Amino acid sequence: MVGKSIVITSGKGGVGKTTATASIGAALALEGKKVVVVDLDIGLRNLDVVMGLENRIVFNIVDVIKGKCKLNQGTIKDRRIENLYLIPASQNDNKDVVSPKDMVELVKKLRNEFDFILMDCPAGIERGFENAIAAADEALVICTPEVSSVRDADRVIGLLYARSITPKLVINRIVPELVERGDMLSHVDVQEVLSIDLVGLVPIDDHVVVSTNTGTPLVLEKESRAGEAFRGIAMRLNGQTDLPVELPGRQGRFWKRLGRKFGFSR
Amino acid sequence: MHSGFLRRLFGKDSSSDVAKKRLKFALVYDKLEISEEVLERLQRDIVKVVSKYFDIEKEGLELDIRRSDNLSALVVNTPIHPKKKGRKN
Repeated sequence: MVGKSIVITSGKGGVGKTTATASIGAALALEGKKVVVVDLDIGLRNLDVVMGLENRIVFNIVDVIKGKCKLNQGTIKDRRIENLYLIPASQNDNKDVVSPKDMVELVKKLRNEFDFILMDCPAGIERGFENAIAAADEALVICTPEVSSVRDADRVIGLLYARSITPKLVINRIVPELVERGDMLSHVDVQEVLSIDLVGLVPIDDHVVVSTNTGTPLVLEKESRAGEAFRGIAMRLNGQTDLPVELPGRQGRFWKRLGRKFGFSR
Repeated sequence: MHSGFLRRLFGKDSSSDVAKKRLKFALVYDKLEISEEVLERLQRDIVKVVSKYFDIEKEGLELDIRRSDNLSALVVNTPIHPKKKGRKN
């Protein structure tokens, strides 16, 4: 088995990298792939809580890299989804304890056991970022339709190109009502500025908050539109490249929508 | 909230148009590492010079930076009107 490693990055914090990593990882596992998600935010781990696995941590990525435990001891199996595994970050170290070379070696081992290695990159473009991209074959850049987020995404895209990694774009937290009203950058605007391939458009969705509260996988929520978007992204990463990227539509009744069209209601 | 409707009626920029402009400017001067003010002066001067020879659409002028490995190119894109002929502005 020769697995593919994908880094999920954004530059800016708080745009949804961890949720995206957990959701795309879960969706790929549901597609029948063997997936490991790796939390690289050493010192500020979060992927474990989003996945509801925080109580199961014994060892972490630093233990694995320093040889304090075996690889399979540092890898936690998901409770609900078959074929999904997590390597948590350590909470008591800082990012300097891991080097880009360590990451290359770790991912080399993981490639033999998993189809997909998804790496949740910390915010920023310092050591944590360097570690995360060192062993990446591909990159997903997440941004929200805001000036600050798109600007940071542009910076990160430049850094990825410099490492010969061609990134793909996911636009997260789209509010279709605001886009229609002209109060939010549209995906066309964002893509025009960043000019990289688009793999997903994710609408804002209350289900994300709920599933993060409970630590349950978003992609198992049938009603969740964000979950649906993440499932689509996973399918595209899994080879269904012809699957069209759909623009999240608004929910709402006909008259309300008609009213909005003419600007008479919110 | 009637802002969308009124805005369209009076042809004012929406906040997303403003965001897009600010974003484009921010990216250009991030890459050039010059200030927004210098960039605006540059844009004004380019408009002035080009207008001497062509009837251009000042609003449509776009500044962009294209970068390759070892050099950056400043790309100025502007719509040119065929001829000045009884046109207002």
